[in-house]
This record gives sequence, structure tokens and C-alpha cells, in this order.
Amino acid sequence: MAAREPSRYLARGLPRTFVPSARSQAFLNRRNVSDEAPARRLSDQLEDLETASSLTTSVSESAASSFDPIARSKTRKTQLPRGRYQFRSPKYDRGPLHPHQPPAPSDPSSRLFVPGPFALPRAEQTYNSTVASDILTLCYVHTPPGFKPPPKAPRLREWDDSSPYHKNRPLRGPRGGDVLRLLRKPIKFNNIPKIERITLHSYVKEAAQDNSGWLHVAGIAVQAISNVRVETFKSKASVANWSLVPGRDTVAVKAELQGENMYHFLGKLIDVVLPRLKDWPGVKGSSGDSSGNITFGLEPEQMALFPEIEVNYDMYPPKMIPGCHITLHTTAKADKDARLLLSAMGIPFYGKIVQ
Amino acid sequence: MRSLSPALASLANVFRIPMSLTPARPSVTRVCHETLSRRTQPGPITSAVQTASFSSTSSLAKRSEGRPGVDKRITLIRYFLHHPLTPRPLRFSRNRYLRHWTIHRAWQLFQAKQRNTQQLELQRQYQSMQAACEELRTGAGDGGRLFRKSMNKKGIFTDLIPIEYGRMQTEFPSAEGWNHEWKKIEKK
Repeated sequence: MAAREPSRYLARGLPRTFVPSARSQAFLNRRNVSDEAPARRLSDQLEDLETASSLTTSVSESAASSFDPIARSKTRKTQLPRGRYQFRSPKYDRGPLHPHQPPAPSDPSSRLFVPGPFALPRAEQTYNSTVASDILTLCYVHTPPGFKPPPKAPRLREWDDSSPYHKNRPLRGPRGGDVLRLLRKPIKFNNIPKIERITLHSYVKEAAQDNSGWLHVAGIAVQAISNVRVETFKSKASVANWSLVPGRDTVAVKAELQGENMYHFLGKLIDVVLPRLKDWPGVKGSSGDSSGNITFGLEPEQMALFPEIEVNYDMYPPKMIPGCHITLHTTAKADKDARLLLSAMGIPFYGKIVQ
Repeated sequence: MRSLSPALASLANVFRIPMSLTPARPSVTRVCHETLSRRTQPGPITSAVQTASFSSTSSLAKRSEGRPGVDKRITLIRYFLHHPLTPRPLRFSRNRYLRHWTIHRAWQLFQAKQRNTQQLELQRQYQSMQAACEELRTGAGDGGRLFRKSMNKKGIFTDLIPIEYGRMQTEFPSAEGWNHEWKKIEKK
């Protein structure tokens, strides 16, 4: 009965829309600038609907008499779960051998379930429609068919067997240090660099000297601009001037942004905050960890330009608004590719561009 | 409120019996409003929740006279930072669960198809670039001069993309469309 009601209302209400009345016509013909072209009006769309109700069809007597859901459910071997089936995800992780396992995070009964996405961010659209193919074109290097690149020297060198002690030693590291750099492959259609995640990190040394209020204000400011719950970190270094003791003082907050949050944050940063910074030359050309991650910092007064803080500026103690470091992690294997990607997205660089 | 005898009042103070009629757990808006409205008055509050039930005692006011007060805004920030915002997991009936599952699967499929089309489009662009370059190299008849010029990568990774062009997509194109008089800004 309850399932029938909406369609009955629809069947009753539909003819009413076709009755011409001055008011409804005026309302239907009104169009805003943001609307699409008036190719399809509401009345046109309503004509597509069938006016005949499906509820008037008669059911044959034999089908009605043989309809017995209870008997049918009894013939089932395994019963369906109850109509009000309520699976409770376990509150604590008891290990892989426990019979009560949590469901997949996409399951709405999971405790990790996050609804969404709710929007298609502009930064993501720009990347997919413009930036990806631009980078592909800019970085294209032609190799004739059948071309084979000459073999390179191995990245880990052998020991020259000048000493008997070289036997069974692990291979030598690369020249000029022990750091084994990432391997940069030529950029093709399947490895165009893209932004992977963004990390906001804020180190508040006053949290160790003064009180925890500094850390709380920093945490809620970072949360407000990133839409992500922050993690806190204890100090690792020992600085006598700041009265820092390793492992005792909680001094830093960090938020990791991915997916929709990340693109929204990037859009705000590029469109709202960075253009309003006074005398800001851009990100330093030598920034980066030589594996495709670029970091720059924002001062406290620059953090206050984020719209979430700006509209609510009175609710933060002004001297306690933190600065932060923003790390843009990209899938590029070298900094130069990451810089090309970020400059295509609208982040300026200044100074000598270090490769 | 009914006035109590001083003896009863002091006993209530000792046993922490609230003498006002305010509820024990105040609502968020009321906490915010109360705390902010009290900003002009001197004297700190120790906790937004605590002040509501028993605060106006003389002993507490006396004790905190010497210390500098906590900023009310920090108190509020602490209240909201530690507020348990995580709701319990959703519990759906069978039909709603199936509906959710169907929509979820359809959305995943749609996204996979979209990613696939984007990837194929990029692959198509790459292959046509490859074909064009090969044609330029062998069939243009200028000894590969144009091909060599087209492969010149000078300045791509040092000059980067001009900041005027590194901008987000907008809903509509700009009024003048394409600026033919544009010249690269000289760096100082």
C-alpha cells in the first residue's frame, strides 16, 4: 500500500500540469542566465511521460491466488537477511583471524565509509582536459621505429675484484653519494605526471614553550582549510633555546589531502590565496626533493587569507594563527617534470630553476 | 531561583549540586553564544561546559584572580576540536542497501569508463604525434630540418609555462577570446 501511494499521486497530479494556467506558464517560461538554452522546456519533458497509469492493469485471478510470499520464502534453502538487517562493523581491529571482520570501506556500514564525491573540482577538470595533453606534447621525444636506446651502465656498480674481501659484498652505491635517485622514464601517455596528494604541515614551537592552546589553534586552522582531521606529532629534536625535549612536547600538526579534498584545496590556493599575497615572487626554483615533490611555506598572515579562516577571522586568536609548509606530491620522478606540471596548473616559480 | 539559606548554599557548593535550572549538557550554539557574550567581563572560564552548571561561586572567582585568563576563543576551539564529530556507521535495510550498492557499482563503472576514454584519447594524441614526427623526419624533403627544430626542447624545463596561461578552466571563455598582441613578460 505504501509503495503504491507516490504513483497514485503522480497519476492524479500529471493531468493537472497540462491544464493551461497563466501563472504556471509564466513560471515555466522564466529562464535564468545560468540555465541552458530553452530547447527543452518542462512541458516538453512532461510530454515524454506516459499519462496512462500502470496501476489500472488488471491481475488475473490465478496469479493473485497463487501469490504466496510466505510459502515461497519457506521453500528457500537459506533465508534472506532480515528486512531491517543491520550489520555492525567491529569497533576494534582484532586481526585477520578473527571471525568478525570489517566490511570494505566502500560499504556504508563500514566505519571508514566516506560519502561522496560531492563535486567535480575545477582543478581536476583543468588537469584532465588541458594540462595532461599539454605536458604530453611538451615532453614528447621522438624515437624512430625500431630504435633501441644504448644500454646504460648499471645503477649499482660492481666492485673491482682488486681485493679478496670484495667477494659477496653487496653492490656499490652510485657515484657521489649513497642516494639512489628515482629512474625517470620518458613521459608517454601512460605516465604523465599528476598531483598525487598534498601535505599541510605546521610546526608550532610555542606549543612547547607556552601552552597547548597554540597547538589547538594550529590544528583547527589547518583542519578548517583542508577539510581533513589533523595528526599531531611530538618533537624529535632537542633545542635548548626553545625548551624542546624529544618525545615530550607535541609540537606539530599535519593533514594529508587526497582526491576531492586535495583538488578543492589546490583550487583555493591557486585562485584565491596566492594571487593576494603581497610581494610574493613565487615558489623558489630550487625547491623540491629531487623526486618530484615540491614544498613551499606560507606565513601566518598568508594563512589567514584562506577563505575559511578569513570569514571567521574573529574566532581565532590573531597571534596564534600558524604558518604552514605545503608539500605537493606528484607522480613525477624528477623535479623538473613536477615544476612543469605545477606551472601549468598556475603556481609561479622564481629564481634559478634547479634541475 | 529559590533562595537558600547560607548553610544549605555552602553545602550545595561542597557537594557540587547545581542550583540553577540549566541542563547539564548545553547545546553547541548556546555554548558559543554564552562564551562569546561573556567576553567583555573579567575572569576566565575553565571549561565551556563546566561554567554553565556551577560557576558563580565566590571561591572559584577568588582562586583564579591571580592567574591570567584563558582566551575564550581558545576554549571554544578546544571544545569543537575535541567534539566527537564521527557519527555511528550507517545502518541500511535490505532494500536501501541494495539501492546503495547498485548506485555505487554504477558510479565505479562510470568512472572506470571515463578514465579509460581519457587514457585512450591521450594514447591517440601520442600516436598521431608520433606519426606526424615520423613523416616530418623522412617525408618532408628538407633533410629533417623541420623535424630537428620541432624536437628542440630548449627552455621548456627552465622557462616553464607562462603564468598567464597556467590558469584554471572557467565556465565561459573570456570576452576577447585570444590575445594576439600578447608577448612574454621579460623577467627582471
